[in-house]
Amino acid sequence: MTYPPATISDDLSTLPQLPAWVTSGRAETVETVAFRSGSALTLLDQLINNERHGVPVKLFANRLALSAATATSKLEGRLAREGDIRDAYHLTPPGEARGPDGDLLAFWRDAVRLRLNTPGEIAALIGPDIAADAAGWLGAGQDRARTHGPLAGCEAVLRAVLGADDRAERVACLLSDVVLARALNWTMVLPVSAQRLTKSVLRDLAAGKQGAGLAVQVRILETVEETIRLARDLARRAEALRAVAPKLRAKGSSAAVELFLTEDAVAPASMLSPRIRGTSIPMTDRAARRLCDRLVELGVARELTGRASFRLYGIGS
Amino acid sequence: MTTPTRKRKLAEEGDAVFDRELDDLPQELRWREWMGRIEAVLFASAAPVGREDLARVVGQGASVEMLIEDIRAELTGRPYELAQVAGGWMFRTRTRFAEAIKVAADLADQSLAFTEMEMGVLCAIAYHQPIDRAGLADIFGKEISRDLLARLRYKDLIASGPRSPRPGAPHTFVTTQTFLVTFDLESLRDLPELELVQHPD
Repeated sequence: MTYPPATISDDLSTLPQLPAWVTSGRAETVETVAFRSGSALTLLDQLINNERHGVPVKLFANRLALSAATATSKLEGRLAREGDIRDAYHLTPPGEARGPDGDLLAFWRDAVRLRLNTPGEIAALIGPDIAADAAGWLGAGQDRARTHGPLAGCEAVLRAVLGADDRAERVACLLSDVVLARALNWTMVLPVSAQRLTKSVLRDLAAGKQGAGLAVQVRILETVEETIRLARDLARRAEALRAVAPKLRAKGSSAAVELFLTEDAVAPASMLSPRIRGTSIPMTDRAARRLCDRLVELGVARELTGRASFRLYGIGS
Repeated sequence: MTTPTRKRKLAEEGDAVFDRELDDLPQELRWREWMGRIEAVLFASAAPVGREDLARVVGQGASVEMLIEDIRAELTGRPYELAQVAGGWMFRTRTRFAEAIKVAADLADQSLAFTEMEMGVLCAIAYHQPIDRAGLADIFGKEISRDLLARLRYKDLIASGPRSPRPGAPHTFVTTQTFLVTFDLESLRDLPELELVQHPD
């Protein structure tokens, strides 16, 4: 044993979590949803904004972007699997076309990098055709969020966008995430709206069916609660990685560890070599592979694809 | 009435009476008649009809654009539309009925820019992108020639996509923006929906 496992379990008990008396029972009425979303969002807010908890926020956001891409692929009827989307994004050589799946993940990864205070960034991401109306929808959603709570704001903006264009699911979900982020004063967008929404729920919402709004809110709430578990899990894994980092003797291993703390999937052949992404530190192909294998051996990373080649490594799942 | 109008009226009377102005009809009926005329002219023509030609069948000063707008408004939900194309307007069936038309009409002897195989490969790529040559071979049961793929690429309908995670890292093919424009699709979602056939829900 090269590192004390005690650090991991200690950390678990100090990370805030939703108490059982909040999550027991089901969210069924406007009141229970409002209550549970209040506690869930407060907790999520703490987890991502208090560095003390050690949640690797960029990694967390990138991981959510992948889930959102998978969810919106389903909403758009393409039904691409998470692995396919991840491959399309990570295996496209620079300068080549990513194709629809890779583009979808790129959309969500751009979304989590939006600077919310910079006007024009949202418009650049969603395209000029729909951007003209976006300001109005966002304004209405934020007003609704102020009077009825964040999730009601999400619901309002989803309804507005889908009412105008029932094929704009990804834009609707993005704007809903923007409303949520602004309501909570986050500096970044966390893609939580899309994850559990289904075509039929959105169809009902756009058609104004009774109870559809509440159903949407319940789904976003469930995602937020799920997201809290993900944040806690990633914090624990990041802590384990940081604990073994001093044991890694490869040149540039600290930069590589940093990359693992920001990216949900790391392709050794393109992201660690010839230079570690985002740095000028060189690393050979072989060193990159060995480092990844070593991380797997130490139990802090895992191979994500199950393939013998074109492997992708990450510390989450 | 101004002099030029009267002159033209006289000229038309000489042509054995085509009543453009329809002065004897109440305004609403007159407008409807004009809409009908434009629609009839466009319907009868295989090629786009320009504004000048259309203006000849309606009253002086009637706006062809407004008449077209009104016709369009009545066509929502119909399987055909009034499209503005280079140099004028024409009736065009909506893209999503293309398959139905193909099934009903034998288009084989029309000189299309694509061979059947090219079209088939293009469709396979459109639906299954990103897909590599091995994937295409699985679909068609035979190797797809590099020449054919090069032709599609030359027409800028397909491009190289992500590497396929197989030995040799063959690159996959994806469709391009030009593909969407060529087939008048707003996005890939406008492709006839396969999943409706596979999972009707």
